[in-house]
Amino acid sequence: MGALDELTALAADRTAAAREWAAAGRPVAGYVGADVPVEVLTAAGFLPVRLTGDPDAPSDPGDRYLGRGLDPVARSVLTRLLDGAYGRLDALVVSHDCEASLRLFYAVRELHRTDPGIGLPPAHLVDVLHLPHRTTTRYVLAKIRQLRAQVERWSGAAVTDDALATAVATHDRVRALLERVAALRRSRPARLTGTQALAVVAATTALPPDRAAELLEALLAEADALPEHGGTRVFLTGSSHDHPAVYAALEGAGLLVVGEDHDWGDLLHHRRVDPPADPALLELALAERYQHNGPAAAAASIRQRAAHTAAAAAACGAEALVSYVRVHDDAPRWDFPAQRATTGLPAVLVDHQPYGRVDLDALAGLRPRGAAA
Amino acid sequence: MTRLDSALRATRHQKQWFADLRAEVAAGAPLALVNADAPQEIFRAMGIPYVVNQWWASIITAKRLGEDHLRRLRAHGYPDDSEQYNALPLGDVLEPDPTSAPWGGLPRPTIVLAETTGDASRKVFDIWGEQPGTTFYALESAAENAVPERWWELMPHRWEEAIGSDRLDLLVGELEGLIRFLETTTGRVFSETRFREVMDLVNEQEEWNRRTRDLIAAARPCPLEVTDGIPSVMVPQWHRGTRWGVEAAKAFHDEVAARVAAGTGVGVDERARLMFIGRGLWFDLDFYRRFQESHGAVFVWSMYLAIAADGYLRYGDDPLRALAARFACFSDQLYTPPWSVEWYVKEARHHGIDGVVHLVSDDPRGGFFTTRGLEAAGFPVLELRADNVDARTADPDALDRRVAEWLDDVVLPRAAARR
Repeated sequence: MGALDELTALAADRTAAAREWAAAGRPVAGYVGADVPVEVLTAAGFLPVRLTGDPDAPSDPGDRYLGRGLDPVARSVLTRLLDGAYGRLDALVVSHDCEASLRLFYAVRELHRTDPGIGLPPAHLVDVLHLPHRTTTRYVLAKIRQLRAQVERWSGAAVTDDALATAVATHDRVRALLERVAALRRSRPARLTGTQALAVVAATTALPPDRAAELLEALLAEADALPEHGGTRVFLTGSSHDHPAVYAALEGAGLLVVGEDHDWGDLLHHRRVDPPADPALLELALAERYQHNGPAAAAASIRQRAAHTAAAAAACGAEALVSYVRVHDDAPRWDFPAQRATTGLPAVLVDHQPYGRVDLDALAGLRPRGAAA
Repeated sequence: MTRLDSALRATRHQKQWFADLRAEVAAGAPLALVNADAPQEIFRAMGIPYVVNQWWASIITAKRLGEDHLRRLRAHGYPDDSEQYNALPLGDVLEPDPTSAPWGGLPRPTIVLAETTGDASRKVFDIWGEQPGTTFYALESAAENAVPERWWELMPHRWEEAIGSDRLDLLVGELEGLIRFLETTTGRVFSETRFREVMDLVNEQEEWNRRTRDLIAAARPCPLEVTDGIPSVMVPQWHRGTRWGVEAAKAFHDEVAARVAAGTGVGVDERARLMFIGRGLWFDLDFYRRFQESHGAVFVWSMYLAIAADGYLRYGDDPLRALAARFACFSDQLYTPPWSVEWYVKEARHHGIDGVVHLVSDDPRGGFFTTRGLEAAGFPVLELRADNVDARTADPDALDRRVAEWLDDVVLPRAAARR
């Protein structure tokens, strides 16, 4: 099996690596949101597995506890946590990357209090915030130290500075390799589709980082043998995608997603920690990386988003801008007018979309003639 | 029944105050537009006039201009079904219409202050910040793992323990930056002694609100309509830190006390005491009165007086840190389980509530844990689904029918059995 096939399979079976990890007696931590500093979990011996929803499964328990006014991804993740769909999780770390994640944490915390037999893993909120100010840096640093102390309590052992430095270096290596992989979809002709690129990124969030790096290197080594892909080159903004269905539908309709600005894609890896030489500054470097990572729709200003989208779409050679917005994911709709104006590309907003579905009719103007709907 | 003098006085004061504010700004004063849960006390201490965004949204809605303002947002490519409460005043900025603007219109602010709560509300303020001459000063909206027990008892003095130092350090740092920013851009002076005076006045005002809340909780029958209570507490709330605010809160208390002493109710045979959880239904304020005649059901509780009583008091030697403590957890108090759930249960018990109407908007806050907590404590809860400023989200007849059936089937029999 080639590296691309293996990564794609691991993206689909996200508990495969975790099962192996747990079978060896090692702890697994589920996490929600790209704002979780996974380096701290890795350094403590946890396998960090980013949790995904499932648009094809009912989410009744999640809907019940969270209400139906929240991003359906969070409702699905809570449902799957309650169903035990992620296998054994020794811990759950939730970030404040968006309101839905925060509400998910509150629900888990409250269910621990009111329904202690419900079988949820112990949970911790890591409140990484994003205003570009020194006051926020100091706060995020305190939250990273708080997380470090929490995982030490969970694991019963100290997270050493050496272990943290090694974890930072390994995750940074994965990010650097993902940047190189992303270039394969931006090239003309593209060597990866957007759907494939999405799967590659997703796989790395369910694997031990050193294993992820090995597979990414193998993928880069086989890049010249990958087939070429065509289609109308679009840059995708709006909601994040923890599932390939929307990408597959877009690309099935003749579009080629050459880049995106959500954190299951390019936003996950474009900023590295790049730690300073002084090991005493490692936590601070982590804090600054997570504070300034983005700009994600839920945490950035309209102006930041528009500037980033325009620059990234240009770097990808995009011919059009598509903003796909899931129902109850409100932030991207406010961003769209400025993104459209700033990119200067033909732009379409497809909003109020159900989780995992896209109204292709709304994109008719962008699709090549004769492409299937 | 006759309306409370304090409610009428508050409304009159507000009109005069707004006219004076317009004149002051026309003469060159800076103007701040602030979010309801933002630390307005800094502006008060520096003598910078400010308008509360949600108050202005409630005026727009009460004048039945809400839909028109949402249309203006839509015309500029922005959503008209997201953050309506925060976004309504933007309608005037994007498409000014002096002929229809309430009270002569909101002058253009020089600074907008808001916390970055939720995913979209900060975007609304971003758009304000794009307007010529307006700066958006954003505050973080931080969250914490630990939950204090019975926060309402801790907050007045032991707020550091209740909220946690990290959140307070963050907000204190942001407020120090705000003070420097305002000193630099307005030329106005921040006096620590003046600020302490403002903080003392706020605590004095909220102590009156606490006494008033306790009077109403204990009184049978309920001495006022909730629609009188809301302006009587909220208009002074927007003027907190002034002597007028303290006197208005005291006058409200004294008027309620006189009614309680005289045994005055709202003019009906009070057969059920209701609690309304959620923001005010600004597009249909008559809703609160509609079931008095028909069912003897009286809304005795809304969050506005209760949060004034429990949510604002902060004492301590460091006034800036005390101010940070007032707002670092404000939304937790109202919307985060279990903070909010335990408080609603405490208030329902305190007021002898027979039934709870819980407004659940189509937004991320949800309502499950609040409803379940109240029901577990023995209170019947009716969830209504609507947005508080967007009349399009609710069919008034359907709302009325559901409430009437619930009163007939659940609340009144239960209330009769308890009395």
